[in-house]
Amino acid sequence: MKSFKEKGRFEITLGIKESVAEKPVKIVPPAEIMSVYLKQHLGVPTQPQVQIGDSVKFGQILGDLEENQKVYAAVHSPVNGKVIDITTQKNPFSNKVEQIIKIQTEDAKTNQVFEKLNPETASKEDLLNRVKKAGIVGLGGATYPTHLKLGTPNRITNLIINAKESDPNTSSDYRLMVEKPDEVLKGIQVMAKILNVHDIIVATRTKEGMTPHLDAILQEHGIRVVRMRPNYSIGSEKLLIKEILGYEVPQGHYPPEIGIVVHNIATVYAVYEAVYEGLPLVSRGITFYSEQTGGENLWVRIGTPIEHIFNFLNISPTIFEKTIMGSIFMGPSLESLNIPIEKGTTAITGFSKDRSKPYADEIPCIRCNYCNIVCPVDIYPQLIMEATKKENVTLLKKLHVEVCIDCGLCSYVCPSLIKFTPYLLKGKKLIKT
Amino acid sequence: MTVEERSPMQFEGIRPPHIHMGFSKDELMLKTFLMLSIIAIGSSIIMGINALIHILTALGTVFVIHTLIISFQKWKKKPVSYDSYTSTLVAGMIVGLAMPIAGPFYITAAVALVTVLVFKFGQNWLFIRKYINPAAGAKTVLLGLLSIMLFWEESLSIGQLFHPHHLDLNLWTAEGFEASMWIFQRVTIFGRDLSATASLLFWQTHGWIGGACGILVLIVGSIAVVWLRYKWRIVGSALLTMIGLAVVFGLIVRDDILLRISFHVFTGSFIFMVFFMATEPQSTPLPEISQIIFGVALAVITFFLQLLNVLGGSIFALVLLNLATPFLDKIGFRKPYGFKSKKQRRSLR
Ligand code: SF4
Ligand code: SF4
Repeated sequence: MKSFKEKGRFEITLGIKESVAEKPVKIVPPAEIMSVYLKQHLGVPTQPQVQIGDSVKFGQILGDLEENQKVYAAVHSPVNGKVIDITTQKNPFSNKVEQIIKIQTEDAKTNQVFEKLNPETASKEDLLNRVKKAGIVGLGGATYPTHLKLGTPNRITNLIINAKESDPNTSSDYRLMVEKPDEVLKGIQVMAKILNVHDIIVATRTKEGMTPHLDAILQEHGIRVVRMRPNYSIGSEKLLIKEILGYEVPQGHYPPEIGIVVHNIATVYAVYEAVYEGLPLVSRGITFYSEQTGGENLWVRIGTPIEHIFNFLNISPTIFEKTIMGSIFMGPSLESLNIPIEKGTTAITGFSKDRSKPYADEIPCIRCNYCNIVCPVDIYPQLIMEATKKENVTLLKKLHVEVCIDCGLCSYVCPSLIKFTPYLLKGKKLIKT
Repeated sequence: MTVEERSPMQFEGIRPPHIHMGFSKDELMLKTFLMLSIIAIGSSIIMGINALIHILTALGTVFVIHTLIISFQKWKKKPVSYDSYTSTLVAGMIVGLAMPIAGPFYITAAVALVTVLVFKFGQNWLFIRKYINPAAGAKTVLLGLLSIMLFWEESLSIGQLFHPHHLDLNLWTAEGFEASMWIFQRVTIFGRDLSATASLLFWQTHGWIGGACGILVLIVGSIAVVWLRYKWRIVGSALLTMIGLAVVFGLIVRDDILLRISFHVFTGSFIFMVFFMATEPQSTPLPEISQIIFGVALAVITFFLQLLNVLGGSIFALVLLNLATPFLDKIGFRKPYGFKSKKQRRSLR
């Protein structure tokens, strides 16, 4: 498959994915100095649990909160080492300056951190508690704490495992499906036990035969594999639910409220590691790609600076004009290479000069309607842009700017090269005030 | 050495997304021009050299005016409104194809001039966007003005909106309608006399240049709608409404229904206008339901203007609806995700 089509027949090329997907995962050793943000999740930041000068062990808690604080996930040390600084640094995902702990690496050894659990005998509470202790968050990029999603008080009837990997620049989930099928199955079973759910679906864009072992064991355990049309937009949780089950999640509500929980396949693997291997979330799979160098699938520890990954790959960063963290549709571009890998980092992509600013020559809107046609949630980005410029809050409410999922498709198709992100963000802010 | 010291590279923070489809406004305009060129060739074959002269006159005029304006802007060190000629050439082509073959060439040149100067650059300068379709605006204003200069002996035939030949037609009765079709019954190709219906579909030597071959416009227009993603709801609703009105009216006055449909739908002023002027992006609504309202209203107004012998009346209807577009943009929204009907929702637990 060379490309896929969005609503309105707009095409997205899959050149990046194609060139990387079949490459086995390489393990990146930790850097000399690791940098771990204290907030790598949706919610409130954690508080440092170590001090400058402390020695830390692999998997030791670096940031945590009191139990009564609701939305957060603990962060752990990715190495054995010594805390050399607790400072602040801009976090590209939140675009805010946040606390970060710098650790001088002593060795790259890993070890079991928690007692291994047997999911057959462990209680739901024990399993859920383990997920919480391991600091697992949604690894598809959303970073919502997984223990909260799994611990929903709602009665769940459907568990969807999102293995669709919609971004055109990521293939690490696919590598998990190829290289760790048994672990993935075990992770799904743990989740299903916690949620007490029997209808489980693995949603994938892979074709029949691409992941034979995983397909076979899923089938053996009565887990449905749904092969989806490979759109980019339907990778989003709400659209995935609609595509598979035909339901829309009512605006202002969450999928568990209609009995559905969606987890990314990388999160499933992290749950496996936490329960079966006794490991906290300290590493993850990412995909690196640039046109000049080609791509690689990598297993990296959280906190590894991007510069170290370039060194490992023998790439001089000076060949790039711009480096993107995460999705090339939704991820931030980096202002510096000392930014570390976070729990939510799915990919790193380097762009050369001629491709670094595709929106530089913006011209006035020609009202071609392309942005409105492609919008997967059926709102009107062009009209929202106009209403935002005029600060027309009544119209913005009527246009339901809050429904926007920030997919970036409206900008992608705009022949006038208009970037909608600032308008959509401002529009959302305006209706809140 | 700290990581910061070892990482001297600083990048600029650029908001996502970081890739673009690569389809530009110029590409859209060039492809539109290509589609229009096919119609221009067809029309020149059917209507002859005069059609080609009209088209080239319009294109030449818009090119010269565009060059003069941007040269002036550059000379005055003002921002250049349109760097590229592509949209101007499309406007010029539309002017050429929207002129009646019987009109004088200098009128075509004048309409082209007003199109670019007043309705393209002028509107853009005043409002930053075009509220009225440039060619339709120019034609309405200029030809309207000429038509009401009744002190001028030739005013009606030069203005062409209420052409003297048309004023005698009676399209309200079956007999009057049939008798009015003489214009289309005079066509002979390859030694064969065409029926009025066949001539309306394939070979019109009368009326708008762009509508010389109704079927060609239908085919090329449909390809353009799909290929270039024109606002198809406007086209579809206008065509269906016009067909519906023609059928109902034909049944009421009891005349040849096929001829009625062919006349109301395939006269150049309607079929060409619907595909290539009523879909002009800037002056037409964005919400889906509003596009349908726009198309339906366009057909209804045009139909009754046709019955009133304003055979190029579609242009009035278009200008009128262009003016209603800012209002239509505030209504007719589709329901976004999460607000759809109860059927698509699972109840909350
Ligand atoms: S895609 Fe761009 S040019 Fe077209 S309507 Fe949307 S904002 Fe305007
Ligand atoms: S970014 Fe928002 S407005 Fe734009 S296409 Fe995606 S959902 Fe629609």
